[in-house]
Amino acid sequence: MQPSNRRLSAGAATAAALVSAALLLTGCASDGQSAAKQTSSGASHVKIMLTNDGSDDACALDHTSAPAGPITFTVDNKSATGISEVELQSDQRILGEKENLAPGLKPVSFTLTLDGGKYTVYCPGGKNENIAFTVTGKATAPKTGSVQTLLKQGSKEYAGYVDDQIAGMVTGVAALKTAVDSGDIDAAKKAYGQARPFYERIESDVEGFVIPGTKANDNAGNLDYLIDMRASNLDDSVGWHGFHAIERDLWQGGAITAGTKSLATELQKNVNTLASLAKKLNYKPEDLANGAAGLLEEVQSEKIKGEEEAFSHIDLVDFAANVEGSQQAFEYLKPGLKKIDASLTKQINTQFDKVNAMLDTYRDPAAIGGYETYTPALKARDANKLSQAVQALQDPLSRLAEKVATAQ
Amino acid sequence: MTDARQPADDPDSPRAGEHVSRRGLFAMGAGGLVVGALAGVGGTMAAHALEPDDNGEAVDASVSYPFYGTGHQSGVQTEPQRHCVYMTFDVDPGTTTSDLQTLFARWSAGIAQLMAGRPVGVVQPSRASAVAQDTGEAADLEPNALTVTLGLGPALFDDRFGLAAKKPKLLAELPALPSDNLEESLTGGDLSLQACAEDPQVAYHAIRDLARIGRGTVSTRWTVMGFGRASAGAGQSTPRNLMGFKDGTRNIRSDEEFEKFVWLGDDEEWMSGGTYQVARKIQMDIEIWDADRIGDQQDVFGRTKSVGAPLTGTAEFDTPKFTEVRHGEHVIPQNAHIALAAHENNGGIKILRRSYNYTDGINQYGQLDAGLLFITYQNDPDHFARLQKKLGSYDRLNEYISHIGSAVFAIPPAPEPGHYLAEKLFS
Repeated sequence: MQPSNRRLSAGAATAAALVSAALLLTGCASDGQSAAKQTSSGASHVKIMLTNDGSDDACALDHTSAPAGPITFTVDNKSATGISEVELQSDQRILGEKENLAPGLKPVSFTLTLDGGKYTVYCPGGKNENIAFTVTGKATAPKTGSVQTLLKQGSKEYAGYVDDQIAGMVTGVAALKTAVDSGDIDAAKKAYGQARPFYERIESDVEGFVIPGTKANDNAGNLDYLIDMRASNLDDSVGWHGFHAIERDLWQGGAITAGTKSLATELQKNVNTLASLAKKLNYKPEDLANGAAGLLEEVQSEKIKGEEEAFSHIDLVDFAANVEGSQQAFEYLKPGLKKIDASLTKQINTQFDKVNAMLDTYRDPAAIGGYETYTPALKARDANKLSQAVQALQDPLSRLAEKVATAQ
Repeated sequence: MTDARQPADDPDSPRAGEHVSRRGLFAMGAGGLVVGALAGVGGTMAAHALEPDDNGEAVDASVSYPFYGTGHQSGVQTEPQRHCVYMTFDVDPGTTTSDLQTLFARWSAGIAQLMAGRPVGVVQPSRASAVAQDTGEAADLEPNALTVTLGLGPALFDDRFGLAAKKPKLLAELPALPSDNLEESLTGGDLSLQACAEDPQVAYHAIRDLARIGRGTVSTRWTVMGFGRASAGAGQSTPRNLMGFKDGTRNIRSDEEFEKFVWLGDDEEWMSGGTYQVARKIQMDIEIWDADRIGDQQDVFGRTKSVGAPLTGTAEFDTPKFTEVRHGEHVIPQNAHIALAAHENNGGIKILRRSYNYTDGINQYGQLDAGLLFITYQNDPDHFARLQKKLGSYDRLNEYISHIGSAVFAIPPAPEPGHYLAEKLFS
């Protein structure tokens, strides 16, 4: 079984090709408008008017061509309630855009320096979603844009981060095994809390691996299952394994038995197998974006509900690790992303700051893993607050993959 | 969509001229299959026989109300639809005044789309890596008379957004009222959205997608999903609440009464044409109520159960005679619900009731958890407070009900085309 990131990028490429074909069939009326003229500042100005004609929303340009150079697009939504964003695209790549458009708000602008060639103004929700826009003058050969370079560089560096976490996981699990073998339950609990975050930071990158020679749909060979299965996804035919089986023994059982020791031995073996499979992977920018969003889904679906650490209640430790892993992926994309969509970048930054500031209020150096125990009482009190903060981050973050997948 | 609805002349009634023909269409649609089946027997007769008995209760899914240029927001004087989802929100810390403007503009555009039966953006984006703008569950459903009404709570006018000077004159948190049993988690909010429609999925979709548009700016606070209208509009028969009694027989109906008791004239200029909304979540002990003898139930309300006549009359709309005494006792007990609430006994005060029945499933005691989402509109929130002060103190109904949720909001007027709700607040 391939790691999930590879599958995803293949899917995205196919989709882009399909869209490309569909657009070629879409004729775009130009209405014969004149070319925009350059002003004294050197920039040409193009107005994009969004209006409703009584039944349909429509997108119209005052000029459908402009000379090569800086071009300022000003978007004014007069009455088109169904259009909330406009993009300028070249060959399916987003070059510039404005979001949060609605009637009554002031017009907004973005400026791009464009070479000669064919472009498309994309108005999702409009009667005419795609409008051809031509830039006249010097047409340069398609180049590898700096955005692509930045994104690729970031993805390469992110691979190093993943490798670091894998190494930490191997060390952490070895320490857990040593503590379990020693029979010291307090030391084992502490080691458990220290080992967990490494896996949680890169969970979305390392799931989907199987023990070589086993089938993808067999939990007995599924490393994610064997390492991180919980009571809620227990496969009776395969039984308890991994971190949470040890957690159960330490907290619910309150004792280290021979069974606990063999669980720790098995966990170490599986983690080492995973490390050998997952190291030195290559990531595409959209893999980072999808991974970042995936980790937040983990927070929402498992941690806030307290399902992940049902016995130790160290869910906030995993929560913080998921958020950290998600933010790391985002940070490595940020230099390129800023150039694609500065406002989305800022929005995601702000929401990460909010989530982190909130998590800081739960820090407790004396607690296992460094965060307050997520007791049922704490959950009842704060789950709503935690969930809404994560959701407010998840929504902009979920738009990241499309941005980086379509970046020039 | 090409079948977008045109604005009606009268904002608060579905285009009067077409109303009948649309009902006719509905009847044909409903009978269509059967007509086909009976074609050999005589299609015309079959179609005629299958037309519903239209006493104003038939649901016409194609009805759409305009959002812009109607003066008042819809969802107030609009004939109550069958379903309603009500939700309040808190503005997130760190939100700026300009974020709030963007939210109101995006919500306004979204509401305009939804009320016209259109999605709030792309349901299925062309790029595989894109996230859909509209969540899609109402994609094949008609407008269903959806209205979405925005309210602004008192806390919005604190020092966060520099709006204190524009605070509507009479907007303030409700005072503590007798018998209040309010739960913090069901109380208050900076903003409210009331989405009512003939189809519950249309109403829910509206709230869901508007909450989604607002995410990052506002967080959800409390919500009630109302089913079955428990108040009547001008052209409607009086429905029943979950106690089985007709509710709102003496509700406000005429334009004159709306002008006098609901719509604002000389409040803050930007609120002209607006009103105030009070929302109360009233939990009913319906199982205990069901065990009460009919005589007592009727004394509690002051009306008969089946007809809904006042105990001093025989027909629903007979004027109650609160002073009538028989065998030395008031026929309508002085602490009956209708006696305490009547305008005759409250200095002429009337409030518009626009309530819905709700259920929240089963409570911790294994009893049915249900009640009334009691929404009122009035040109002075104190009118509600005055009535509730009296009802909370003396109403015989208090034995069976509990006010567990509460909030008050200013309802700004509808925007003109090209503008958004409460836009003038920021000028």
